[in-house]
Amino acid sequence: MYLLIFTLKRLASAVVVLFAVSVLTFLIFFAIPNGNPALRLAGRTATPADIHNVEVAYGFDKPIYVQYERTMKQIFTGRIQSYTQHLSVFSQIKRGLPATLSVAIGAAIVWMLIGIVLGVIGALRAGKATDVAVSTVSFVGISAPSFVVGFILLDLFVYKTHIFPQVGYVPITQNPVSWLTHMILPWFSMAFLYIGIYAQVLRSSVLDAVTTDAVRTARAKGLSPAKVMIKHVLRVSLIPIVSLWGLDFAGALAGTTLVIEVVFNLQGVGQYTYNAIGALDVPPILVVTILGAFFVVLMNAVVDILYAVLDPRIRAGKG
Amino acid sequence: MVDQAAVVSSSIEEETTGSGDSPLRLALRRLRRNKIALFFGVIFLLVVLVCLLAPVYANDIAHTGPNANHISEIIKVNGKATPVVNTIGLPIGPTYHSKFFFGADQNGRDIAVRLLYGGRNSLAIGFMATIVTMIGALLFGVTAGFFRGWTDTILSRLLDLIWAYPALLLAAALGVSLAVGGVNLGFAHLSGSSILIPSMVIGVVYIPYVARPIRGEVLTLREREFVDAARILGYSRVRIIFSEILPNLSASILPVFFALQLAQSIVLEAALSFLGAGVQPPSASWGTMLSDGSGLISVSPHLVLVPGIMLIIAALSVNVFGDGIRQAFDPRSSRH
Amino acid sequence: MRMRRTVLGIAGLTTAALTLAACSSSGGGNTGSGNGPSSQNTSAAKSGGTVKVVEGTYPDSLDPDFSYTTQGLEADDTVYIPLLTYAAKEGTAGTQLIPGLATALPTVSSDGLTYTMTMRSGIKYSDGTPVQAADFAHAIERSIKISWGGSSFFTGYIKGAADYAAGKAQTISGIQTDNSTGKITITLSQPYGAFDNILAFESAAPIPSSTPMKVLSNTPPIGDGPYKFGKVVPNGSYQLLRNAAFASYNIPGIPTGYADEVDVSVNSNTTAEAQAVLNSQADVFDAGDTIPAQVLPQVMSQAKDRYQKTPLASTYYFFMNSRVAPFNNKAARTAVNMAMDRPALAKLSSGALTPGCNFLPPTIAGHADGACSFGDPTVSPSAATVAKAKQMIKSAGLAGTPVTVWSETRQPRQNFCLYLNDLLNTLGFKSTMKVVADATYFQTIGNESLNPQIGFADWSQDFPNPSDFYLLLSKAGIQRTNNENFGDVDDPQIESQLAPLEKDPASQLSADASKWQALDKYVADQSYVAVYGYQTAPKFLSDRVNFSAAVFNPVDYILFSTVGLK
Repeated sequence: MYLLIFTLKRLASAVVVLFAVSVLTFLIFFAIPNGNPALRLAGRTATPADIHNVEVAYGFDKPIYVQYERTMKQIFTGRIQSYTQHLSVFSQIKRGLPATLSVAIGAAIVWMLIGIVLGVIGALRAGKATDVAVSTVSFVGISAPSFVVGFILLDLFVYKTHIFPQVGYVPITQNPVSWLTHMILPWFSMAFLYIGIYAQVLRSSVLDAVTTDAVRTARAKGLSPAKVMIKHVLRVSLIPIVSLWGLDFAGALAGTTLVIEVVFNLQGVGQYTYNAIGALDVPPILVVTILGAFFVVLMNAVVDILYAVLDPRIRAGKG
Repeated sequence: MVDQAAVVSSSIEEETTGSGDSPLRLALRRLRRNKIALFFGVIFLLVVLVCLLAPVYANDIAHTGPNANHISEIIKVNGKATPVVNTIGLPIGPTYHSKFFFGADQNGRDIAVRLLYGGRNSLAIGFMATIVTMIGALLFGVTAGFFRGWTDTILSRLLDLIWAYPALLLAAALGVSLAVGGVNLGFAHLSGSSILIPSMVIGVVYIPYVARPIRGEVLTLREREFVDAARILGYSRVRIIFSEILPNLSASILPVFFALQLAQSIVLEAALSFLGAGVQPPSASWGTMLSDGSGLISVSPHLVLVPGIMLIIAALSVNVFGDGIRQAFDPRSSRH
Repeated sequence: MRMRRTVLGIAGLTTAALTLAACSSSGGGNTGSGNGPSSQNTSAAKSGGTVKVVEGTYPDSLDPDFSYTTQGLEADDTVYIPLLTYAAKEGTAGTQLIPGLATALPTVSSDGLTYTMTMRSGIKYSDGTPVQAADFAHAIERSIKISWGGSSFFTGYIKGAADYAAGKAQTISGIQTDNSTGKITITLSQPYGAFDNILAFESAAPIPSSTPMKVLSNTPPIGDGPYKFGKVVPNGSYQLLRNAAFASYNIPGIPTGYADEVDVSVNSNTTAEAQAVLNSQADVFDAGDTIPAQVLPQVMSQAKDRYQKTPLASTYYFFMNSRVAPFNNKAARTAVNMAMDRPALAKLSSGALTPGCNFLPPTIAGHADGACSFGDPTVSPSAATVAKAKQMIKSAGLAGTPVTVWSETRQPRQNFCLYLNDLLNTLGFKSTMKVVADATYFQTIGNESLNPQIGFADWSQDFPNPSDFYLLLSKAGIQRTNNENFGDVDDPQIESQLAPLEKDPASQLSADASKWQALDKYVADQSYVAVYGYQTAPKFLSDRVNFSAAVFNPVDYILFSTVGLK
């Protein structure tokens, strides 16, 4: 029962947040001077009469709340079109989704695996040279913006040594091997940052768990270190990691993929948004932002609910 | 967006000091012993210093400003007379001499000079954004955590809004929009090219990431015995905040967050300027240099590698030093 | 593609049948580098096969009544044939108008207000429906109704079109058609010598009268040309398939197409685009794109025989506001022109710009090469000249004047303005930049209330007539919003020289060339604008196709119907 109420409360607040996000985006772009989309749509040599016709046709002459309502209606019926091209925004998002998901999901798996491995190594060899090396990699990872890493990898592996093919995205359905070779550099560019964080977090979680009584008892009983690690330590230390991973995945999907797509010219949803921002094309920005925020809120809610399921104490105390 | 704050809070524990030393003095002592952190701290200071000395470098060594174009100029590289920019627009690479030490960009501008001037902007924005974040986070976090109830609910929802908005998109949208027309603050008008704009944008975007841990910390602190004592003594709530809560925060999580946020802000500024939503031309920042050079990466990689590596050095040194601060205030989380 | 604004009372150009003969000594013709032919191809390519085109930008629309970019034009002009069209030749020969679906060039009444033509009989759309005279009227109406960016050409000159646009009439009274005889009669609201060029627009090409009045970007209307649209993936690719019936119409001068199929796809990475053509994995590099500097050396060395820089009728310049300080002072403007390093600006364009100092570009009557009164555009100004320019500004008391340089965001335009910003500071001004998003740039500087002092501008021909360019320098061109005469140039001397030239029928263009040249020289002497170069476009093809048979027309760019395999 409590769980149901808790879930409903989270859903309600999620809706409010999404509404606020859409309003905020609309306002941000509405405030741009000389940003009247009718000027652009009517063409460079349009007379004031032409511009007025376009304004009326698109509804730009109406007050802002009417425009907002109109735009949101178009979004919910899926009919929303961009200002610069006569294309449905959703169709373009659909086109770019495979590339974006390929990057985000692939990178997420890469950073999870490598992060865990490095974190465990660091914990096992705490204080020794390997640990220091892992820490160094971690710190560099969180200090290097993903697009800088992308450029460095591009320079080294594509232009100087030709190990990897030219930038771009090859659909997996077209050529799986080519898809893979095109994805490896974007994956690592994106993952480097998170590997650093996850290695550190897992390392301290593992070290925390290793000193607990349960583990000490298991070791005293004579279980091998490896078995202890897997059976007791990892199980406990992975819980915070998984929730962190959920949030980071959402955040990455909604943000970091944009820059990576631009660097590697992957023509995904992120690059589509980037082009829209440059063209001050509000509909795509609006739709992608809402979807991104929705995903973030969703993952946040899922994680919270998971925690509530796992730990009844939290349910009661959460505000 | 990376929730580094979660990393920090998860490993911070309260420490009761039995001795008469203040937590601050203990922390400083520990910090002094941490050679690695100190080393990187010095590196960061060097970076700051070198960037502050940009005019000196420009006037006395490179003999050119950051915006001066030298497209048609011819200089001697390895004894050969070479145009700074060739006929199809490709610039020279690093000469490792006083002029064009790190080479030139497409407009024939000295990369080394721009690197230093750009560094001033990047670092200034980083600092100002961090200050904005810290002030905002304190306002939200302390108020919400201390007063709880409806205040907490409303403020937390507001934080949720900013937090849910994909940070990069929010910053890019705001940056692009404000760059066009500037900002009218009532008492002042900021032109679209003012660096206060990206500073505020980045600062605001990060507020929830710091406000939440602060709120959590305050929630715990207000149950502590010294707060009870102050309440019994009749201190007003505001006085309690200033005399008990804030000092405790400053002794535990504030310095750590400041350092971490500084690194994050420098990195976000680079990303924003790279997308064209941060520093506006002709001003330089490490991010705009990366953006300008990205088109020529296959033939002139120095355009991207030079600002990129500088950026990594700056962020890395702040991060390591920040970690040193964290360890200094809370040694149990270090395990070294 | 920029279209000009009309309506604002351009003194009527009286008309006669339009024949644009080759320009006189004024530098028309193919002056590009490379070994391409300068006139009509003699060798033919093989029939059949598939040609692959890559472009960096997808057409804004495939709908001929809506599209407004060169990419859209290149697609549409193989599918829709207007009443008149341009000769399928390169250079100045390609600026000549020939009959398309009309049997002959129009007969014009002596007062220049009535144009009469007859539609060819027997032409059918690719689905078999016959093309009718009324279809022309429908195309004009539709272009207006769906807000084609250049519809002011129609509403400004065709009688009754403005009323139709405002919804006051159901049809355009100035267009009368008779389906049985194929006769088309157009009445103008004012005489206009270049009206024949308007009839050559893709948006004036007849389309089935049943075509609905809404934009059909991705399912374009049926056409009657040598090709028809096949599969269209919005923002990704489109196909052109040969329309076998077209050859049977025997329309003289219009290529019937070599390849059976033309596949056009988008790759926004122009480096990859260039490499694809270099390796002959693709056949045509979109002429609307610039070959990036990082690949250009390879292209020039490895593809010498299939790469040619083709001059366009497109001028790149910095506008200077003649009504606002400091550029209302002639000394300031002249100083800028003197000190400007045009070869440097050409470098910033990766060599795509040809340095020049006159406003009228190559292939336009009146264009002149060579030095202007303030210097030789092909030579970087000496330090002494720059110092002299700086002194001029100081003597005029203008040193220290704050100046804002307006710029677009994208490269290389931003790079041009970065250079200008630095130049102005060197000359003694206090210059800063304002970079505006590309999408709103021209609307922003076209807003008179902002009083932009100086900034980036360019103009590409709508059609090969110098009056198209002089709109930007004439009083009639000044408008409070959406201004195109960014410098607010209002000079009685220009007006007096311009008026008779615009009244002369377009057939007199070559005879008038020297007069246009004189006017252009006056503009240069007054330094009303700071011209630095003319755009060139790459004719860059794979080694699979016949380079000399392929035509790069100065108005319509690469004619896909002339691209064929060897």
